[in-house]
Amino acid sequence: MIIVKIFLLFLLTLGFVIFGFSIKLKNFQRLVVIFGYFTLFIFIINPSLSDKVAHFFGIGLGSSLVIYITIGVISLLNIILFVDTKMNKDAITKIVREMGIEHAKKI
Amino acid sequence: MSDTAIIIPMYNEELTIKEVVLELQAKYPDFEIIIVDDGSTDNSYNQAKIKGVWLIKHIVNLGQGAAIQTAIEFAMRKNIKYIITFDGDGQHNADDIKEFIQTLKSGYDIVLGSRFLGKAENIGVLKKYFLKLSRVFTFFSTGIWLTDSHNGFRAINISNPNFILRENRMAHASEIIDLIKELNMKYIEKPCTIRYTNYSLQKGQSISNAIGIIIEYIIGRLTK
Repeated sequence: MIIVKIFLLFLLTLGFVIFGFSIKLKNFQRLVVIFGYFTLFIFIINPSLSDKVAHFFGIGLGSSLVIYITIGVISLLNIILFVDTKMNKDAITKIVREMGIEHAKKI
Repeated sequence: MSDTAIIIPMYNEELTIKEVVLELQAKYPDFEIIIVDDGSTDNSYNQAKIKGVWLIKHIVNLGQGAAIQTAIEFAMRKNIKYIITFDGDGQHNADDIKEFIQTLKSGYDIVLGSRFLGKAENIGVLKKYFLKLSRVFTFFSTGIWLTDSHNGFRAINISNPNFILRENRMAHASEIIDLIKELNMKYIEKPCTIRYTNYSLQKGQSISNAIGIIIEYIIGRLTK
């Protein structure tokens, strides 16, 4: 179980570091990502805590709460990545278009 | 320089582009011809080096919508007012251009080709009904009822600087209908002939691609 926990923590931290430092995030997005990271980090270390928190929110099982948080965080990350990719795509289009027009020639 | 240009977005059309351009030049010697090579990986670029043609190259493949927008921006900078979008695969009929341009210059902002008012030679049954069904989708998304909503043959008055295509790939066809509504453009449909050959069918959009185009269009609208 310890190995599984270490592996999950490693994956979670790796994802957090890559995401947090490679993409420009807005303050709200940064807060959600940090909240998601630390919440999942604590729940991996202490799974029984998730039951208590879930109970507090009236969800029942801690594992359900983890799934809900994960879905929320992953969906947000997906949207952030989509917007980031779209911005890059638009920039590439602009560059390629300008280069094309600049070098246009009449045969 | 002429105020009218025929725009040809080109991607891997080495087999047909020369023949298409030579026919257009013979029939419309007064029109400018602008070819945008959209990152072809075959010999299309060299095949398109035909005297009198404007040749623009995208160093990477962006998509047909992006190629058309590049040609529009270039045409605007050259003070060209009227354009015809024409496929490089030989699907479109050069004889249709004359009437489209005449109609456009009579006071329309855009003249849309309709293969269902004209002819769709060798069109597959499935494709035919899928295209007809797409009119319903276009109607619900724009409120404009057309007999053929995804026809690449069209004449456009590009003097409105807000006529900008943002969809790089095939969803630009739907985007044009959106722009007609947004910019309150005066439009009309005219019959045209689309010739489906084995070559053009191989290169054309499959039904599964069409579903991807619809998704691309919806995402484009949501993220506009």
